[in-house]
Amino acid sequence: MSMLRLIGFGPEGWAGLLLLAALTTIAVTLTALAIGAVFGALVAWARLSRSLTARLLGDAYTTVFRGVPELLVIYLCYFGGSTLVTRIGALFGGEGFMGLPSFLAGALAVGTISGSYQAEVFRGAYLAMSPGEIEAGRAIGMSKMLRFRRIIIPQVLRFALPGLGNVWQLSLKDSALISVTGLAELLRESQVAAGSTHEYLLFFATGGALYLMMTSVSNRVFDAAEAHVGRSFRGGIGRG
Amino acid sequence: MSQSPVVALEARNIHKTYGALAVLKGISLQAHEGDVIAILGASGSGKSTFLRCINMLETPDDGEIIVAGETILMRRRHDGRLEPRDRKQVDRIRTELGMVFQSFNLWSHMTILQNVIEGPIHVQKRPRAECMAEARALLEKVGIGDKCDHYPAHLSGGQQQRAAIARALAMRPKVMLFDEPTSALDPELVGEVLRVMRALAEEGRTMLVVTHEMGFARNVADRVMFLDEGRVEVEGPPAELFRDSGSERFRQFISGHER
Amino acid sequence: MDIDFLTSTFLQLLAAVPTTIGLFVLSVSSGAVLAVVLAWMRVSGNFVLDRIARAYVLVFRGSPLLIQMFLVYYGMSQFGVIRRSLIWPLLRDPFSCATISLALCTAGYAAEIFRGGVLGVPGPQIEAARACGMSGFLLVRRIIAPIALRQALPAYSTEVVLMMKATALASLVTVWEVTGVAQRIISHTYRTMEVFLCAAAIYLVLNFIIVRLMGWLEYRLSPHLRAMPQHARPRPGMVG
Repeated sequence: MSMLRLIGFGPEGWAGLLLLAALTTIAVTLTALAIGAVFGALVAWARLSRSLTARLLGDAYTTVFRGVPELLVIYLCYFGGSTLVTRIGALFGGEGFMGLPSFLAGALAVGTISGSYQAEVFRGAYLAMSPGEIEAGRAIGMSKMLRFRRIIIPQVLRFALPGLGNVWQLSLKDSALISVTGLAELLRESQVAAGSTHEYLLFFATGGALYLMMTSVSNRVFDAAEAHVGRSFRGGIGRG
Repeated sequence: MSQSPVVALEARNIHKTYGALAVLKGISLQAHEGDVIAILGASGSGKSTFLRCINMLETPDDGEIIVAGETILMRRRHDGRLEPRDRKQVDRIRTELGMVFQSFNLWSHMTILQNVIEGPIHVQKRPRAECMAEARALLEKVGIGDKCDHYPAHLSGGQQQRAAIARALAMRPKVMLFDEPTSALDPELVGEVLRVMRALAEEGRTMLVVTHEMGFARNVADRVMFLDEGRVEVEGPPAELFRDSGSERFRQFISGHER
Repeated sequence: MDIDFLTSTFLQLLAAVPTTIGLFVLSVSSGAVLAVVLAWMRVSGNFVLDRIARAYVLVFRGSPLLIQMFLVYYGMSQFGVIRRSLIWPLLRDPFSCATISLALCTAGYAAEIFRGGVLGVPGPQIEAARACGMSGFLLVRRIIAPIALRQALPAYSTEVVLMMKATALASLVTVWEVTGVAQRIISHTYRTMEVFLCAAAIYLVLNFIIVRLMGWLEYRLSPHLRAMPQHARPRPGMVG
């Protein structure tokens, strides 16, 4: 069937490009998650803080980036970012329009959004911790830094794991929206292939199937990680 | 019974207020090396608060803490509250005071063995091999040597508390502080923990024990201190106190707690 | 701050709000109906139905909404049989395509939420109902569904808010809802921040209204979780 050839690896086949695009998707999602982890940790800290200003700022961040459509955030980062870059470039004597690289804009956008979800996850994980264990750290003479490193961080990460698994899935799917910036990730590549061959159903279905594979594998990986980490609990994470 | 003149721990005139409520109204205590002091009192009498002031888990509003001759340096903030002047000194002194909590407070993400070696390795910076060997010996001593690689959640309450005792001992503290160590345990499990504590007392450890266990206070402690409403109501050797303390409140307290 | 620009932007965006709301209401309601069917299939005990529903949920939760939308919008036109059918004019319209796609997607998520609600109905309460002779549709209608709904409401509120954000994707299949209009203004004027703020404000207000509505619904459905009203409290002297 000619359809099979189209999604195969031959001269007419788009398989290579699609797989490359899938890798781009994974790369941009990982970058976004890393950015989101930094923002998320900061916002979680702000929301747990004693300072009212910090709490309000943290709440504002979470409200805005969980409530506003992802597409708008991407436009903000891409168009806004490009404007910024062009202005900075003009300062240095550059001319014309300079675009913010779409990978960067996309990762920043999805990262900022995932940051608001990660903040919730970290905050919940921190609150789930047993305060007695931190006290034991104090009683044994641990400094604040040591307590943070040896007790708080390992425990927060353990409790945060299920939530982070969800955030990963969410970000993986959000990354498809980065296609509007022109980045050659999976959705864009599927679009290009579909458009050039007019085999819309075939290529969007294939793209969808590739996304499904990525989310399924992610599920397995996170389940395994939770099982490994949950062995210190009596009944798995969330209990005991 | 202790004959040692060395003062291992001294608390002078400790005051603590929470908002409008004065919980400690000037408590003083002197513990010589080898002393086992049982601190008794009704709920709200301030006994746990007093213990927690000793290792600065709570900051007293007035008074001094002197551990092995070293005074914890304090200073007054602009809002009048007292605070330790040197955080590092507090951390260091805490390593000399081993604390055992009512709810064990073992670190749930580490195995028992890892719990015990955590302080010695990361706070005291002792060599790993030495800490491991000592940890295993201590866990053996408290009777759970075979549970080294188990996580706290998989142990019974009594086992967890004994592990917590081993963890405190691993720091080689000068004084052991026990904050109601058996109050959170099922009755059948209380005995195994008390046995370990008795063994420590007989070894000559300096121990401050906040407890409701009258048997321990009567038979193991060298001295009993009874707190009532933030003050020391009576204090003395258990034999004397339990026979005739001269205090009506203490008599009422014992009769309410005797089994 | 250019008040004129902000005002004109705001008015343009507001003009698109009815479209957004239309997409939202239609997709959420039809999606909910489909979700009930899917949830029933999952808890029915019938192996085949369960598997089909599971596959549906897996596909629609595991792939990005955008690719689903493209599949419906571009892919449907490939089928001659659909092109020649009576509903073709409906399916050709971008608004309908977007609505259908949104509904299909939310059905996948909502199905799991409703299923969770059903599974959360306390067994003893169902037993009590059976003990007085209830069964079949009566049991579902009077006992299971009401309790399941109350259990599911918090999670479903979250899903509903997500749907409001999801309507933004319709702009990528040429529906002129708020985000689409915003993007057009940005690409003409490059005043990204101002447009973003206007659009974000609109979405945040819409979300706020939805959250309030869902909160009111939860409140109305849970008098049993609140303190007794004064006049109903037992007083001394009352019989029994």
